[in-house]
Amino acid sequence: MISDTVKFLLNDKILEINNPDPNQTILNYIRTELKKTGTKEGCAEGGCGACTVVLGELVNGEVKYSAINSCISFVPSLNGKQLLIVEDLVSNDGKLHPVQDAMVKFHGSQCGFCTPGFVMSLFSMFKNNKSYDGELIKDSISGNLCRCTGYRPIIDAAKSLNKVDKKDEFSKNKSKVIKLLKKIKTKNIYINNENKKFFSPKTIKELKNIIKKNSNLSFLAGGTDLSLTVTKERKEISSIVNLKEIRELDFIRVNKNYIEVGATTSLLEFENEIKKYYPDFYLVLKRYGSVQIRSVGTIGGNIATASPIGDTLPILLSLNAEVLIEGINKRKLVSINNFFIGYRKTKLKKNEFIRSIKIPLFKKNIFKAFKISKRFDDDISSICGSFNFEIINNKIKQAYIAYGGMAAVPKRARACEEILKNKQLTINTFIKAKDYLEKDFMPIGDMRASKEYRLEVAKNLLIKCFVEINTKKLTRVI
Amino acid sequence: MSKENFIEEIRPHDSAYKHVSGFAEYTDDIQEPKGTLYGAIGLSKKAHAIVKKIDLSEVYKSNGVISVVTFNDIPGRNDVGPVFDGDPIFPKNKVEFYGQPLFAVAATSTELARKAVLKAKILYRDLKPIIRIKDALKKKNFLFKPRKIKKGNPSNKIKASKNSLKGNFTTGSQEHFYLEGQAAFVIPKEDNNLLVYSSTQHPSETQQLIAKMLNQKSNSVNVVVRRIGGGFGGKETNFMTACVCSLLARKTGKPVKLRLDRDDDIILTGKRHEFFSEYEVGFNDDGVIKGLKVNLSSNCGMSADLSAAINERALLHIDNAYYIPDIEVTNYLCKTNICSSTAFRGFGGNQGMMVIENIVDNIARYLNKDPLEIRKKNFYQNNKKNITHYGMSIKDNVINEIFRKLEKKSNYKKRYLEIKKFNEKNKFKKKGIAITPVKFGISFTTIHLNQAGALVHIYTDGSVHLNHGGIEMGQGTHTKIAQLVANSFGLPYSLVHISSTNTSKVPNTSASAASSTTDLNGAAALNAVEKIKTNLENFIKKNYKIYNHEAEYKDQYIKFGNRSFEFRKIIQEAYLNRVSLSSSGFYSTPKINFNKKRFKGRPFLYFCYGAAVSEVTIDTLTGENVLERVDILHDAGKPINPALELGQIEGGFVQGQGWLTIEELNWKSNGQITTFSPSTYKIPAVSDIPKKFNVEIFKEGLNKEKVVNKAKTTGEPPLMLAMSVFYAIKDAVASIGNYNIAPKLNAPATPERILMSINKIKNKIKNQNGR
Repeated sequence: MISDTVKFLLNDKILEINNPDPNQTILNYIRTELKKTGTKEGCAEGGCGACTVVLGELVNGEVKYSAINSCISFVPSLNGKQLLIVEDLVSNDGKLHPVQDAMVKFHGSQCGFCTPGFVMSLFSMFKNNKSYDGELIKDSISGNLCRCTGYRPIIDAAKSLNKVDKKDEFSKNKSKVIKLLKKIKTKNIYINNENKKFFSPKTIKELKNIIKKNSNLSFLAGGTDLSLTVTKERKEISSIVNLKEIRELDFIRVNKNYIEVGATTSLLEFENEIKKYYPDFYLVLKRYGSVQIRSVGTIGGNIATASPIGDTLPILLSLNAEVLIEGINKRKLVSINNFFIGYRKTKLKKNEFIRSIKIPLFKKNIFKAFKISKRFDDDISSICGSFNFEIINNKIKQAYIAYGGMAAVPKRARACEEILKNKQLTINTFIKAKDYLEKDFMPIGDMRASKEYRLEVAKNLLIKCFVEINTKKLTRVI
Repeated sequence: MSKENFIEEIRPHDSAYKHVSGFAEYTDDIQEPKGTLYGAIGLSKKAHAIVKKIDLSEVYKSNGVISVVTFNDIPGRNDVGPVFDGDPIFPKNKVEFYGQPLFAVAATSTELARKAVLKAKILYRDLKPIIRIKDALKKKNFLFKPRKIKKGNPSNKIKASKNSLKGNFTTGSQEHFYLEGQAAFVIPKEDNNLLVYSSTQHPSETQQLIAKMLNQKSNSVNVVVRRIGGGFGGKETNFMTACVCSLLARKTGKPVKLRLDRDDDIILTGKRHEFFSEYEVGFNDDGVIKGLKVNLSSNCGMSADLSAAINERALLHIDNAYYIPDIEVTNYLCKTNICSSTAFRGFGGNQGMMVIENIVDNIARYLNKDPLEIRKKNFYQNNKKNITHYGMSIKDNVINEIFRKLEKKSNYKKRYLEIKKFNEKNKFKKKGIAITPVKFGISFTTIHLNQAGALVHIYTDGSVHLNHGGIEMGQGTHTKIAQLVANSFGLPYSLVHISSTNTSKVPNTSASAASSTTDLNGAAALNAVEKIKTNLENFIKKNYKIYNHEAEYKDQYIKFGNRSFEFRKIIQEAYLNRVSLSSSGFYSTPKINFNKKRFKGRPFLYFCYGAAVSEVTIDTLTGENVLERVDILHDAGKPINPALELGQIEGGFVQGQGWLTIEELNWKSNGQITTFSPSTYKIPAVSDIPKKFNVEIFKEGLNKEKVVNKAKTTGEPPLMLAMSVFYAIKDAVASIGNYNIAPKLNAPATPERILMSINKIKNKIKNQNGR
């Protein structure tokens, strides 16, 4: 069954949009068509959080809430979901939701423009967790910028939620919403609005059919990058294929030797799994972007975008991950080390898509990863370094080292690796090796960092690795 | 006049409920009437060039476009400069910065308007741009002639001093990044009138500039502002958006909304002035400054805007809290091809203060002493050493007291020693600590701006309606002024309602700026209240034959001795007896005078004081750092609403922290800005704030001057508390050279700058050892 109507819940009412403009953002729809202006535009690129809304989704019979940036999400992605906006948190008799009430009580708003976004981020946190510690709170609002308060009152407001009755209007209304979500259980979407197309297949088979019959397709796997074509470059995307509704692409499987991640698995899901095997991978992912970005952003999207500053890429390179590429008729497993062929260019051919990523589990190796940026939260790397060492009897047997932000592509440091191999694990080995990074990289300078800084920090990260391996202590201040 | 009684009442922001529920209305949220058009501005792609040809044919043809305006459509003044000319709305032939507006369109939707402006074909003839201060200094490209202020004979004093130091120092620019971008909504009315909604800190000037642009009288333009989503100085001038929007509305005869996209907002609106200073200082072995010479240069961008006043404030604050007996400052206002630098919280004061704090810090490092001691040695005193370099004697000095208290409260001495020990033991992590003072002068230094108006009505049901000239931009001025008025009438807060600031209700207002909004407008509101009270009291006394009693307004009653009248009832009675229950109010700041030419006088009614201790840890391999703990003690006088003041103190601190640590703007050598969105320009986020954040309002605070509630403003001063973060970082860097080498560190202290500063010290040590 294919439909050209997007069906979703606005809180607990079914809304239908017939043949919408697939390039229209959810934010634009809320403000100009629903005429609800509580949700704000602060940047139109997912960088400030003023536009945060919450999407409810049925997962294993329960409603799972996700805070997302409505400014970089397209309307058709509402299909089959519940949309919650800040106005809907107020009950019919004008009573504030506990999250809103806490923000008032703790003086969490000044100019008020960022406030609806904070409220929605905190609402999502409130609903998805049982208690709220400092780390969770910070992570939950790391994608919301406030220029007035200095955040302290907002953190205090969030902490106070620990003492609040968790039963809110939404818990009371839960069974009704679940029923409604089941009722609008999605059909496949095919929209053709003035030659702008949007496909949302449910299966890989259907996806392949769409690929066969159409050209110039843009794959949407999170859209945190793709959407900027519309909101910043002011161009139209003619044909979008939404991969996020394909269940076969959203999975995590672990066996003895590797962890396999479906291409559209969200970074938020992935980070909680990878934490068990590579804690540093997890730490980098925490800094990858805000919750809003990580809840829609996918590992497949990060790889296919192939940005030189994509944060998972150097890590996957040093872990010798493999990319499972699927075409119309065949599949192939490609080492990620052969995948990136130029600035934002990959081995992916037209008509091919990423099915999954296989990440080897080096159980005996030492793995370190560092992201360096001006700001801890939601910033783009100046440098991202990843290190995977096999060390036997104090001797470096194997070294897999990769950096992001150091070249037009995320890249392995082959010369440096070579010189480390079969050397004793001593500071001198690393001091000598770090200069070989000059053979591996000739970084450029930009607004994030100069080329000198990039090279110097790349070298220093190697020293950091040694110190951390040697002392078995982390050397990081943040 | 009734007796003055103080309030100190914690209460949420008057819009808090609306903020959290999404019901607070900002300019772009106002529902448009049918037929409303949407604007977008076409920008220059060159920083300095002659515009040879503008071909807009594709723009006209673009989907949804209804109208296009260029300089040819401006009937009156083609300039939005607030004090001086130089900010053309659309320049006729020469562009002077990358992103300068050249034309605008009105279309059926914002998206279509923004698409259309990209279709312009513009032919330029390139001119060489000047982007940096250095280059402007070399080419002597100044907005005004360099000016020198001098007191005593610093050259001789420096020569005669036992010690002297020379150096230079830079503090960076800063983007306001108010969360609500520039926006305007203009509705044409009969008689060529315009109803203008604008996100501005300065409705009166918006009104005047639109009128001048359209060759109309100010009485035909009404500017209305309910609230703005942050200003910080970025909406004090920047009248471009409202003027272009009005021009489009005039030409089309339709309502027009114009909201700048975030990128365009950052590209085309002004930012904080970057400052570069070269100094020479003489001091004795105790670190007491004897003479100081400074060349102070700022990057003003392409026009004057408020640069003269901002540089003046920098000169007035180059002493911060220190007595400098002999001083000479030469001030260069550099004209460059970037957008015109403008007001930003601190308004030059902070840049001036950073100059002297850097010098004091370097003196301490030179003498190998704790900078705290050098700071204390140089502080203004109460009976001597209390005359500033501009001749004002300081009568309200509490910095010595605040410093003493904070030093103790923060356990500074102990931590200072512990940090030294920590640094001896740790190679890759280093800690630093610093305590810095703030003394900040309050009043517009342009004396005539220190005035305000208000309008108060009491309706027959006893409810009070209040307007004043101040803009609610998050600071809570409406809340505080309503508290003052409610208190003065003895009424509950809920009976006082403040609505939009409106140029037809209160005329000729000054910008909500210079930290003065509540001081000035609160006093004007109370003046209106007093006038109404006089009417009321005269009526009651006459009607009820009361003599020899002062009126007391309390708990919704007006009391004269043991006679009391219920407020609501007596209002009705007064109305029936034809007593005026409405009044305007006015206030002008007393005592102040300032001769700008001679740089002498009393430019400030009073000073705000505060101090902060910051402790940081830096990573010596990456320059990354964390703010471990901050202790603040800040003088807010007798705060009207301590919760709101606390919000200003903390928020100001974090904004200052951003300015001095991570916020970094970048221009290419061709003048193109490369940091114009949150992905490239980073303001502090939640993880940047201090891990421990102890903020206290100075309990003994009291404004010695006659200011409403004896309060002291908390608008700008707390921003400068963040200086302590910068000097704590510098302290941590100094540990690399075992505190024997003064680090060279400019602001902002980004991880990169920190690492480079560390490297310089390491190289110095290497060279020393090599010799």
